[in-house]
Amino acid sequence: MEEYKIEEKSAPNRDKVEVLGKTYDKGKPEGEEMGRWRQKLGSRAEKLKYLSTAERYWYGKDWFGSEKRKNPA
Amino acid sequence: MAEEKEKEVVKSIDDATIDMIKKAGEDGVRTVFDRADTTKPCPIGSEGSCCNICAMGPCRVPLPKGKEETPEEKRKRTGVCGATAETIAARNFLRKVAGGAAAHSDHGRRVAEAFLIAAKGESPEFQIKDEQKLLQLALDLGVEIGERSNNEIAVDIGEMLLAEFGRQEGELLTLKKAPLKRQEIWRETGIAPRGVDREVVEAMHRTHMGVDQDYKNLLLQGARAAIADGWGGSMIATELQDVLFGTPSPVLSQINLGVLKEDEVNLIIHGHEPQLAEILAVMTQDKELIEYAKSKGAKGINLAGMCCTANEILMRHGVPIAGNFLQQETAIVTGAVEAIVVDVQCIMQGLVDVANCFHTKVITTDSRAKIEGATHIEFDERKATETAKTIIKTAIDNFSNRGKNIRIPKQKSDLIAGFSHETINYLLGGLFRASYRPLNDNIINGRIRGVAGVVGCNNARVAHDDIHVRLVKELIKNDVLVLQTGCAAMACAKAGLMLPESAKEFAGEGLASVCEAVGIPPVLHLGSCVDNARILIAATAMVKDGGLGDDISDLPAAGAAPEWMSEKAISIGQYFVSSGVFTVFGVTWPTLGSKEVTEFLFKDMEELYGGMWAFEPDPIKMAKLMIDHIDKKRKALGIDKARERVLYDMAMRREME
Repeated sequence: MEEYKIEEKSAPNRDKVEVLGKTYDKGKPEGEEMGRWRQKLGSRAEKLKYLSTAERYWYGKDWFGSEKRKNPA
Repeated sequence: MAEEKEKEVVKSIDDATIDMIKKAGEDGVRTVFDRADTTKPCPIGSEGSCCNICAMGPCRVPLPKGKEETPEEKRKRTGVCGATAETIAARNFLRKVAGGAAAHSDHGRRVAEAFLIAAKGESPEFQIKDEQKLLQLALDLGVEIGERSNNEIAVDIGEMLLAEFGRQEGELLTLKKAPLKRQEIWRETGIAPRGVDREVVEAMHRTHMGVDQDYKNLLLQGARAAIADGWGGSMIATELQDVLFGTPSPVLSQINLGVLKEDEVNLIIHGHEPQLAEILAVMTQDKELIEYAKSKGAKGINLAGMCCTANEILMRHGVPIAGNFLQQETAIVTGAVEAIVVDVQCIMQGLVDVANCFHTKVITTDSRAKIEGATHIEFDERKATETAKTIIKTAIDNFSNRGKNIRIPKQKSDLIAGFSHETINYLLGGLFRASYRPLNDNIINGRIRGVAGVVGCNNARVAHDDIHVRLVKELIKNDVLVLQTGCAAMACAKAGLMLPESAKEFAGEGLASVCEAVGIPPVLHLGSCVDNARILIAATAMVKDGGLGDDISDLPAAGAAPEWMSEKAISIGQYFVSSGVFTVFGVTWPTLGSKEVTEFLFKDMEELYGGMWAFEPDPIKMAKLMIDHIDKKRKALGIDKARERVLYDMAMRREME
């Protein structure tokens, strides 16, 4: 996964603030790459992190979704 | 002439198929459409009233037509052994579930074996392609990840999942993927499957002469064997295929007989298991083989799929599809198919008879599925490239034997496939916040009324593709998002429903607006028939994301197999019902010979599992049943009416707890 870029912007009543830059991919995917997204996850650590957030209800430690109950199943 | 046209329309709504039915007639070729005309379904067997499990029979116990049965008449309506119509209908139904579960699960077992071959490095052609999915499975199964290599992890996963087929006690590990409440229901009702094979074997034992003779008890075993399929064998197949060949992502391709090429060697791969198809997809691009084809006068090699093997390589490679189940013979009728290569399931024996009228070679590749008169080239995962080359060369060598009677229909449609659960999750939230939240929110706010799974086969007893397309159009018109697999998906793809722009033309305003925002079609292709497991996971993801209840049975969702024909479809339907989904089947219903059995499946199962069966051959009425059920669930969730939004302050929040 690409590192997030920070951009400096002017803000009302402040000089400069740092904000998160563009996060979308450049250009338009073509050929083999069209429609594919899993290659964006590079290392094993990134893949595991993605699982714990994107598939958080199965693999995240602090997420229960609709299954958060007073009396756990 | 008008009568002839009308007759063809009754057989199919697909112009390419109609053209080939006509050509078959001109060429004197007998296809499934002709056989369906001359071989009528047995009226007693079709309603489950024939028992042929012992040599005192077959015993026929049909329900009297046109009059109410007296208690005395009903008492006498038994087989020689005394088995009642209820026992006979339930046994027949359970045997169908067992047959379907066995088919899907034996597919899963073969994939697990291939997976282990790849994991152990015994086949250079097959490698672990999707590390992400591998890690996901490792987390599911509690396999240590650490710094271990992918192959080491894969060996553990492969061995654990292969052992699930022969597990004798406890419950399947993959059941843990289901919502917690669903798991509780299965345990409370005693239908959490122990091992895949055990449930199928027990179903066969219990339906043997003189064993289980309580129809309810038989049907409960059906529920258990079916779960062993959907949440077991099929799910294992899908998950391991994803690791081995890649988890599907959106891919553009084409479908229908028009994908065949007049100037190239046409090779069709047909069946269900993806291992051989994967290697054929690679090897048909081999320069040496393409040159060999050119040396024989062809411009190249054109690989096309048929049935669910087609769905597998469509989802992962974008290989075009020549057609669905009822088109397997009509593809040969074009006169332009050099070889049709088959693996297992849904392969008509009639293929050989049709192929004998042309130059086409029917090549069987699996020791479990040989056909008299076909050429057999056994596929071995350890010699995958070698087998693929032999098959492709056989097809190329056959190119010069083409006759002059070639007619390839022009019809072909674009489609976008590749909507795995992982991809839907990604599309709805991106890498940063992948989530089903936008789907749930749009169901809650009413833009999307609900979700329907429309799956299953073609059936020559009804107009090919007609029920699928009319049902799905009616559903999306009413803002129901449709998830599809198998031949049902192919029918709708041919009708152009699997393109994002179809939302504007066919979907209701709410669904169309969501499709436009996300950039998806209103009808999503999730893969082959084992990939119905993806629909189970998608439904579970919706439950877990919250706001739509805490079980699959709470979701505004329904399922259908409008043109079903195989035992696999019954197993699929039963595991959806056992998972809490209202499921409607068309064409015919196999327990109509017993009111009690039908009532148990259609009503009592709702009390047990929250899901139940229904039968309705008319697609518009079928859609209405599904939409009524979706509306019932919306009402139960309290999302049937627009509500004023209230901003809660802290005091109000505290009060909630």
